[in-house]
Amino acid sequence: MSLVRRIMHQGFMPLFWLALLLSAALGLHQLETLFQWIQPDTRAVIYSRDSFLSLLLNHLSIVGIAALVSIVIGVGAAIAVSRPWGRDFLPLVSQVASIGQTFPPVAVLALSVPLFGFGAVPTMFALILYGLLPIVRNTLVGLRGIDSSVLEAARGVGMSSVQVLLQVELPLAMNVILAGIRTSVTINIATAAIGSTIGASTLGDPVISGLVNGNTAYVLQGAILIGLLAVTVDSLFERLQNSFSVMEDRLIK
Amino acid sequence: MKSTLPVNRVLLVLVLLALASLWGLDYASVQPNRIVPGAGQSLMSALGWPWASVLTLLLVICACTPVRSSRALLYQLMIVVLLILQLPLSLGWFIERHIDPALPYARAGIGAGFWVLLFLLGLMLIEIKQRIRLHAGWSLVIWLLILAVILISVPWLEPLALMREYQTRSQQFAQALRSHLALVGGAVGFSLVSGFILALLLNRYPAARKSCFGVLSFIQTIPSLALFGLLIAPLSYLSANSPLLQQLNVRGIGWAPALLALIAYSLLPMVRNTFIALHEVSADVLESARGMGMSPRQVFMQVRLPLALPIIIEGVRITTIQAIGLTAVAALIGAGGFGTFIFQGLGQAAMDLILLGALPIIVLALLADAFFSAAADRFKPGVKG
Repeated sequence: MSLVRRIMHQGFMPLFWLALLLSAALGLHQLETLFQWIQPDTRAVIYSRDSFLSLLLNHLSIVGIAALVSIVIGVGAAIAVSRPWGRDFLPLVSQVASIGQTFPPVAVLALSVPLFGFGAVPTMFALILYGLLPIVRNTLVGLRGIDSSVLEAARGVGMSSVQVLLQVELPLAMNVILAGIRTSVTINIATAAIGSTIGASTLGDPVISGLVNGNTAYVLQGAILIGLLAVTVDSLFERLQNSFSVMEDRLIK
Repeated sequence: MKSTLPVNRVLLVLVLLALASLWGLDYASVQPNRIVPGAGQSLMSALGWPWASVLTLLLVICACTPVRSSRALLYQLMIVVLLILQLPLSLGWFIERHIDPALPYARAGIGAGFWVLLFLLGLMLIEIKQRIRLHAGWSLVIWLLILAVILISVPWLEPLALMREYQTRSQQFAQALRSHLALVGGAVGFSLVSGFILALLLNRYPAARKSCFGVLSFIQTIPSLALFGLLIAPLSYLSANSPLLQQLNVRGIGWAPALLALIAYSLLPMVRNTFIALHEVSADVLESARGMGMSPRQVFMQVRLPLALPIIIEGVRITTIQAIGLTAVAALIGAGGFGTFIFQGLGQAAMDLILLGALPIIVLALLADAFFSAAADRFKPGVKG
């Protein structure tokens, strides 16, 4: 609970962005006059196929579910290959995690269409697959960065290997892991927006529809919401990371 | 803890996966024309039993080579390379067996089994190359061999759906390659120069560091689709009011917003790496260079820059790969490039057209990665030749 309170307390920026995001999602359609000025010759200047709020929630749930799956698989895989019984797979997994990031997210998104058809499923698949890489990589870096004397000491006081993992290794690696999750989520918010070209209903819809119909007002509405969403989530992660490093400092002292 | 199995566990798992997908998934498919969906063919019916059994046998041998024998990795490497080399040939053989040359619209599709095999063979190659100290020359030989086999099999692969899509668009393909490279080159080139200047300024004025990196990483956070979208309205406005910009073909959509956004995204990795590279050359080294009587200019050109170069090149590598991917998205705002094929293909539900866009993008990114990694290694201090 104290963690949440601290985030709320220091977290002015995330709150600010969140408020802006919500008011944009709920109130953009009231700025009709402004958009009429931007797009003078068109009757419909407010995207109305779906409400912005439902697009926002859809976008968030696609990214959120994908992130949860990536975190479970990614952190799990990284833990597995850093145990003695999985160490054979370590070189391959860490190489793949870095080579895989060479593949552009759009290409991964496009290639999941032949596999799964159109809709939210291929989008989710691409997000999970691509989102795994930074999480695996950072978890490996985080676990490897722990001083072996710390682990030695933990085992010395009689901790089981599960206890060492849960009470020493993961907490100490948490900040690096969080940074990986942050990268993964940032990329995925952007990729999910492009997901509307393969039939997922996200905040990319107004942008794509606006580009197809030459309606700059639609494009702008989608772009503003996507941008605000990304910035809000990113600032939340920043706060979260800050509070973890504060905790870590205390842990070490 | 040493592995108790007498064989390489990683390769064993990869081979089992490869066998499962080879025998469980379609290897290729036959399409009577572009519209009708293809009929999948299993490995056995696609290639016939001799080819299928040799393939299976090679995979089994690769998995069962005992790790104790000193040349195990070398044999395994040879088998994996052989398996990769047979990939294009097997498609040629499939076409020979199943596509009737009398039907000009018939096309061959590549099945999931083929793609999974390609992917797993790639993983095996990575695994083996990590455990074997392979001379750089040999890697090159392997790549040239693969390239040669692909080139040799091209004439047979004409009925491949991917090739048919390419042939109807060979000029657009060349155009897409040009505009993709031009956008990436322009963005990377511009951000390299301005990033260098910015990094030098930040080195001199520490007070500006925090806000500069703050702004650049803020931009990096904004999704590409949003940034492209946000640039359209102001650029259309500027262009509508400036004849000069209209002459330069600067409009709300097209190359101008794409290039602007690409540069904005490129600045962070470029400035960060250049700054760190220049900043972290140790003070002792600089001190001793000055002590030897070098002028400030000499210290910079002969000591600081060469020492910083590998990290700067690493920045160029990251930026280039990022720009290659982002340029694909820029096709949505009419900037051209390979993304055009992806989004056209998505619009027409033409899977092979999607491939025609996505594969070159991946190849470009991998080539850029290999090229700049090699360049960074070449300039590492203490390594010559």
